[in-house]
Amino acid sequence: MIIRGVFSMSIINRLKSLFTGENDNEKKDISNDVSNTSDDVQVTSSKIVNDDVVSGTKTTVPREDVVKEEPKDDKRDIETLKEEVVEELHKIKETPVDEKIEKVHELKEKPLEEKVEKLHEIKEKVEEAVEIIEEDVKNKVEEKSNKDTKGDNMTLLTDKELLNDSNRDPDFTAEFIDAGIETVKHCFQCGTCSGSCPSGRRTPYKVRQIVRKCLLGLKEEVITDDALWMCTTCYTCQERCLRSVKIVEIIKKARNIAAHAGYMAKPHKMTGVFVLNTGHAVPINDAAKALRTKIGLPEVPPTTHAYPEALEEVQKLCKITAFDELIGYDEATGGLKE
Amino acid sequence: MEIAYFLGCIMNNRYPGVEKATRKLFEALDIELKDMEGASCCPAPGVFGSFDEETWATIAARNLTLAEDMGADIMTECNGCFGSLFECNHMLKEDEDKKAKINANLAEIGREFKGTTNVKHFAQILRDDVGFEKLASLIEKPLDLNVAVHYGCHFLKPTETIGIEDQAENPSILDDLVEITGAKSVDYKDKMMCCGAGGGLRARDLDVTTSFTKEKLDHMTEAGVDAIVNVCPFCHMQFDQGQTEVNEKYGTDFALPVFHLAQLYGLAMGLSAEELTFDAQKIDATPAIKKALGE
Repeated sequence: MIIRGVFSMSIINRLKSLFTGENDNEKKDISNDVSNTSDDVQVTSSKIVNDDVVSGTKTTVPREDVVKEEPKDDKRDIETLKEEVVEELHKIKETPVDEKIEKVHELKEKPLEEKVEKLHEIKEKVEEAVEIIEEDVKNKVEEKSNKDTKGDNMTLLTDKELLNDSNRDPDFTAEFIDAGIETVKHCFQCGTCSGSCPSGRRTPYKVRQIVRKCLLGLKEEVITDDALWMCTTCYTCQERCLRSVKIVEIIKKARNIAAHAGYMAKPHKMTGVFVLNTGHAVPINDAAKALRTKIGLPEVPPTTHAYPEALEEVQKLCKITAFDELIGYDEATGGLKE
Repeated sequence: MEIAYFLGCIMNNRYPGVEKATRKLFEALDIELKDMEGASCCPAPGVFGSFDEETWATIAARNLTLAEDMGADIMTECNGCFGSLFECNHMLKEDEDKKAKINANLAEIGREFKGTTNVKHFAQILRDDVGFEKLASLIEKPLDLNVAVHYGCHFLKPTETIGIEDQAENPSILDDLVEITGAKSVDYKDKMMCCGAGGGLRARDLDVTTSFTKEKLDHMTEAGVDAIVNVCPFCHMQFDQGQTEVNEKYGTDFALPVFHLAQLYGLAMGLSAEELTFDAQKIDATPAIKKALGE
């Protein structure tokens, strides 16, 4: 309320100044105000006042104007402006007729040129005010429409490209059901999963959204998105799921489908290569052999590393399941085909 | 008591001090660790499980049949191996169709999954089969050490199938096991968060993985601990080697040495830092070990 009062006062002062010939008091109001808050600033403020004196300006400051006020800027609230104008009109209306007549006389007595000048000044002020208001309204409208657009990304309904049944692949959804993950249908999109997800805090991985897309059958969107691979399978989402949806199973199934469609990172394929070549994703090396010998363990552990026939079993199994083809394993080179 | 000892990859091929400590510990506990000759990669749940479930289950089932042939339950001290072997064992025991499909593959190498073994985690065996009292009797000199316990993800979760008695979001099994050695488990922010290495993320996007690890290291450091204790060689590697990667990428100077729970017990039982292969780890454990032993 105080602030509104301050604005009203400054407008009144400006209107007053139009009639009395006084310059804008606002600047002095501020400097005076600042001088009340700190000694350091007082020096500056009195300097401003002195400058004003030098320039021959009246420095009389109405006592009631010494109120806390923000520095002059155009961030004025439209409502406040409206209220000020209405208030001002009321004041004019309520001014006794005698006083009005007196003012008209005063005006009448002034030379014509001065009157015209005053009218121009008034016109300019009004135009300026209108401009500020228009700009403000425009900004407010833009701001609001931006906010709406952002918010609406949360729903598929207002996307520019609307989804319809042609975007859906029911076979994709069926793959989850057939794999025993019927719980994909139980998700009610509460978002507990995304809220719990340590990956979602730092990557574009949106687990809630992926679960929804799997249920809707948006196969391409799911399997082509790199974010699908940002899950560490930490199970926090699944542990907290209010509907006991097997979320990690859904993610792994979606990854299986993506991998079989050719979406597989080279480092992942290489992990597969290590297992095909040695039976281990992290095979032994010379440093480890030396370390093992040093502490009295067998140089090579009793795994596929020590039993070639066991390694052959693993390799055969990978051929039976066509894992070698899946990753593009080249038996001749022991690497990747590409 | 006999246990089929599943080695996996990272533990025996990178941090053999963990294997050394485990063998010493179980010798002292009078439990025979029998080698699973010809065992392979579990295989890694995040990579194989994410690529092709059938291949993942077939290779995991082959490992399970090795233990079945030995007539013993399996012990693993890696959360990833535990996740793969436990989940596959559980799945094939519950789902006849999948069991038939996997057995058709195994028949080609003359093997069959019967469903006669159980998969147990190292920490689970220490608490449930050995017991705190017996463990306490092995401690030669209580360790003076403040540690941040890292549980890792594929140990207690998913609780729906795993069934280790504890609360996945607020567990105590590892803290209790740590404190038997005399060390103190210090609570820290977001303690149950993932190290960032799993699900194939470390291989695919090191930046994201490192970002996880940095967050954990921040919280552990804020808690003022001397070391990190884990029960998963992959988390172990992520905190050890990954810590140097964090320091490179973020210009930080984290220096929290990393202990597998087996190494902590090894230290408390009088094994040397060399025997526990701390000298081969990236983050210098010497100051923490000196403090722990009161040297």
